[in-house]
Amino acid sequence: MKTLDEIIKNKIGGMYYGNRLIVPFHAHFLKVVIEKEIITDFSPSSKGISVIEEDDFTSLYFLDYDDLKSSLSEYESIKLVVVEKGNDIFNFKNHRKIAVYLEEKHIARIEETDADILFIE
Amino acid sequence: MILLLVLLFDFYLLAADSGSIISESQTEHQLPDTLMVIPFVVLLLMIATGPLFYKHFWEHHYPKIAISLGVVTVIYYLIFLKNTYTLLHTLAEYLSFIALLSSLFVASGGILIKVDKKSTPLLNVLFLAFGAIISNVIGTTGASMLLIRPFIKINRDRIKPYHIIFFIFIVSNIGGALTPIGDPPLFLGFLRGVPFFWVIENVWFIWIPAMVLILGVFFIIDSFNKENKETDIEQTYSGKIEFKGLKNLVYLAIIIISVFIDPAVLSFVPSLSPLPIGIREIIMFSVVYISFKTADKDVLKANEFDFEPIKEVAYLFVGIFATMIPALQLIAHEASVLRDELNAGIFYWATGILSGLLDNAPTYLNFLSAAMGKYGLDINIKSEVQEFVIHDEIYLQAISVAAVFFGAITYIGNGPNFMVKSICERAGINMPSFFTYIFRYSIIILIPIFTIIWYIFFLGKG
Repeated sequence: MKTLDEIIKNKIGGMYYGNRLIVPFHAHFLKVVIEKEIITDFSPSSKGISVIEEDDFTSLYFLDYDDLKSSLSEYESIKLVVVEKGNDIFNFKNHRKIAVYLEEKHIARIEETDADILFIE
Repeated sequence: MILLLVLLFDFYLLAADSGSIISESQTEHQLPDTLMVIPFVVLLLMIATGPLFYKHFWEHHYPKIAISLGVVTVIYYLIFLKNTYTLLHTLAEYLSFIALLSSLFVASGGILIKVDKKSTPLLNVLFLAFGAIISNVIGTTGASMLLIRPFIKINRDRIKPYHIIFFIFIVSNIGGALTPIGDPPLFLGFLRGVPFFWVIENVWFIWIPAMVLILGVFFIIDSFNKENKETDIEQTYSGKIEFKGLKNLVYLAIIIISVFIDPAVLSFVPSLSPLPIGIREIIMFSVVYISFKTADKDVLKANEFDFEPIKEVAYLFVGIFATMIPALQLIAHEASVLRDELNAGIFYWATGILSGLLDNAPTYLNFLSAAMGKYGLDINIKSEVQEFVIHDEIYLQAISVAAVFFGAITYIGNGPNFMVKSICERAGINMPSFFTYIFRYSIIILIPIFTIIWYIFFLGKG
């Protein structure tokens, strides 16, 4: 399993199909923002998102959406606040703000959000 | 969208069929049935309750709901009242409204302001005061779109919903009470004959105490906010302010100048009647296209530019503009019947409350019409508007102040309110619901301040 640092440094992307976003890491998800939707409930009964951890990746199913690509504009991202598995969740330094841009051919570009992007934890 | 285009086409055919809009403009029309207020009430209730109780359904279907309710009113006016003039007039106002909002939204979306300063209550007060002043130059919509992102960025480590609420109060609404560019109702007054500088000359001494009180309340609340979400991370600030995409300032200037390209202001500007748009709207819609196509892609990415906030406003307000026609006509009728009994205080509260719930521009015109009726003057005659302004300024003061100030009491009181809310939610800020906004913020903070304003300036006058 690659670390988040490796993924960002080596520009390793994820994928998306329909309402499913596949990211190549395991993490504790604290907050996900897609359009105006602010998701903080990641329990199995969550109505907004279903997070399924597989061996080498994590699938996020956005339950209110049929097709992620058609819902987001070219400049809009899905924003995640995550803590990499194994790191101390209570240490704010470990909270990583990630932006996922949906590109053509089902490629999801993963970037750490820079200071320009508005994303409040 | 297709429905809207069909309606536009129908309107055009009707207008062409009936000669011109202007020839019909003076015709008296039958009042609508009181029951026709129901679509408007239903739409307001759904805007208020949808995001709370049936969010999924609302988010997927609000365009259809807003348009369908609007169509009910349109059909009633077409078939039962045979009143095409009012519909055309409303369509023209809607297109003018959405042209201004969308052009300011897109042009300012291509500008990035980076403020790397530590957030303090004093800095925030200065920022909001600057926003209030600038909203008189580029409009409350332009100022809101330009400044909301840097305001969030400055406060990113300690932001709370109240920051945004005060931004809506001050920059998106109350700040813009000094010039006709500031807020649409004042601009409509200007088009009807109110001199450009009348507002600032007659409203500044009301505007200043209102601003001081609201900023004072904000300063106190903000001083209690000691939160820093990343307390264990050392923050360093360069104190720099950077701008990117400054070429879009040219587009903003074009939009502001085009506001005056109206046959009522400049006699050489041709009217495109019976079309429901004019040269001004064509320029504004052109700016939407050109400024988006030529914008710096990095800035658009940093601003996470998306048309969704303006689409949301466009859909909701097409329903609001259509369904509020009966309500506005009934209010105008009642106001004209009761005009001799209406004093400045009543004009202030009535204009204010209705501006918060309806659109403030037509509300302003209806009450201005009623106030002028007290002296037997006609709002449709420019010289009589100018005569009214000289005659007794207290009514126009009350109506102008209330129409702008009270636009802050709900999310739907003024166009930029909803857009600011939408941008903040996309940035991950949990914004208060429609009712929470009213009951926790407007009623607690604004209504007492507006009551003080009324007590000092309008009680027992007129």
